[in-house]
Amino acid sequence: MEYGFDIAYVYKYVPKLLSTLDLTLLIVAGAIGTGLIIGLLVALPRLYHVPVLRQLSQVYVSFFRGTPVLIQLFLFYYGLPEILKLIYIDVTKVPVLYFVILTLGLHAGAFISETIRGAVIAVNRGQVEAAYAVGMTGYQAFTRIILPQALAIAVPVFSNLVIAMLKETSLAFTLGVMEMTGKAQSLGALSQHFLETYLSLAIIYLIISILLERILLVVERRLQRHMRRDTPNRNWLGIRRWLPLRRLTQELNLDKKEVPHYEA
Amino acid sequence: MIKLRGIRKSFGRQEVLQGIDLTVEKGEVVAILGPSGSGKTTLLRCINYLEKPSDGTIHISDFSLDCKHAGKKEIHALRQRSAMVFQQYNLFNHKTALENVMEGLVIVKKLSKDEARKRGIQLLEKVGLGAKLDSYPSQLSGGQQQRVGIARALALEPEVILFDEPTSALDPELVGEVLAVIRRIAKEGITMIIVTHEMGFAQDVANHVVFMDGGVIVEEGPPSELFVNPKEERTKQFLKRYTPEFSYSI
Repeated sequence: MEYGFDIAYVYKYVPKLLSTLDLTLLIVAGAIGTGLIIGLLVALPRLYHVPVLRQLSQVYVSFFRGTPVLIQLFLFYYGLPEILKLIYIDVTKVPVLYFVILTLGLHAGAFISETIRGAVIAVNRGQVEAAYAVGMTGYQAFTRIILPQALAIAVPVFSNLVIAMLKETSLAFTLGVMEMTGKAQSLGALSQHFLETYLSLAIIYLIISILLERILLVVERRLQRHMRRDTPNRNWLGIRRWLPLRRLTQELNLDKKEVPHYEA
Repeated sequence: MIKLRGIRKSFGRQEVLQGIDLTVEKGEVVAILGPSGSGKTTLLRCINYLEKPSDGTIHISDFSLDCKHAGKKEIHALRQRSAMVFQQYNLFNHKTALENVMEGLVIVKKLSKDEARKRGIQLLEKVGLGAKLDSYPSQLSGGQQQRVGIARALALEPEVILFDEPTSALDPELVGEVLAVIRRIAKEGITMIIVTHEMGFAQDVANHVVFMDGGVIVEEGPPSELFVNPKEERTKQFLKRYTPEFSYSI
């Protein structure tokens, strides 16, 4: 069979691949959600110097940062059932998807815990002192004063992790999960137009990444609103309204006629 | 009334507080003076346990705490009896001026939000910031931030307000507005302990002045005595640098 690049396949495959987007996003959401909970739990013993737990969390972070995700997926998918068998728990009927979410969640958790730890350390020591001086307990000081500020510091790094996670979901196909990359594999195999399939796949990943980036930027602005000195123009998904045009309309006295304007 | 007895504190081998005894009557304004490294800030921070004293007892009105056997609960109880104004303001950065004042009222004093808001607005107006309720600390000048800090401390209605060099981080033009606020609340009979380098202010506002050096109280007394007629050689030497032979004011 003669092979020729056919752009039509790219258009044709985009919607087909999008049909599995929900699964990809489910993995991202599940893994990041798990990662956030684990990350926070793992960061705490190191921040508060809890003896044994601190060493354990260090081992955990080292392992998940120091080994490839692909290997982690294999180890968990093939290894975990064997270990659990020893204590008579049968997980062979558990869908692969759960293994994928758990493994990616643990992977994300390692990075998120380091992000949180760094951000908490970055919050000025004076903030805790002020909280104590006001009469707060350690718990109140952490949840009401430290954590909100640490989150604002952590969002940019966290955004990176979310986007990296989106791309790492593509590894789930190696365990036979039919998410976007898995779907692309089978579409390509069917038509032998691999190049077109992967091109449409790349386009989808890129667009989703950009959308995620925009959404996370809005979250970042929201969490960091106390760091700005001015009151910024309102913008939607980071798209700033065109300032020169606004000035022009003002100079032309257009707003005398009660033109609705959307000042924040 | 606040009574400190035998307060000691060491950092490593160096003993920065060597047994401090200090009594502050209710409604009194006490100024603590001394060169840097004399232990005055450490002493202040020991009173609300931001620094853990290694020995001694702290009494605030009916509550007393033995520093050697203080548990979490007692430390928490001690802290609720005082409030602090910091050199670096330390306002909660992610909260507006009003929220900064409300925070302690809602979380610690368990007031309803409406009550806290009312009280917060009232106090911010008192320190001259009625127009800045919704500004974040980053949008305020140093002087304004420190006045929010004072309002936050006042809101808690503590037995004593501790001021840790409240004007040292301000540029000279802003010092006045903060001192004016402190002076005003001093007249209301709130007990205050102020660590400061503003000699003129201390002389003017304080009822009692304490001079510290090398981790001990060298001399204390009413400002009229300590400033005009210091007994100890070290006090004289220190004050000479601040109060020149002749004054330039008109």
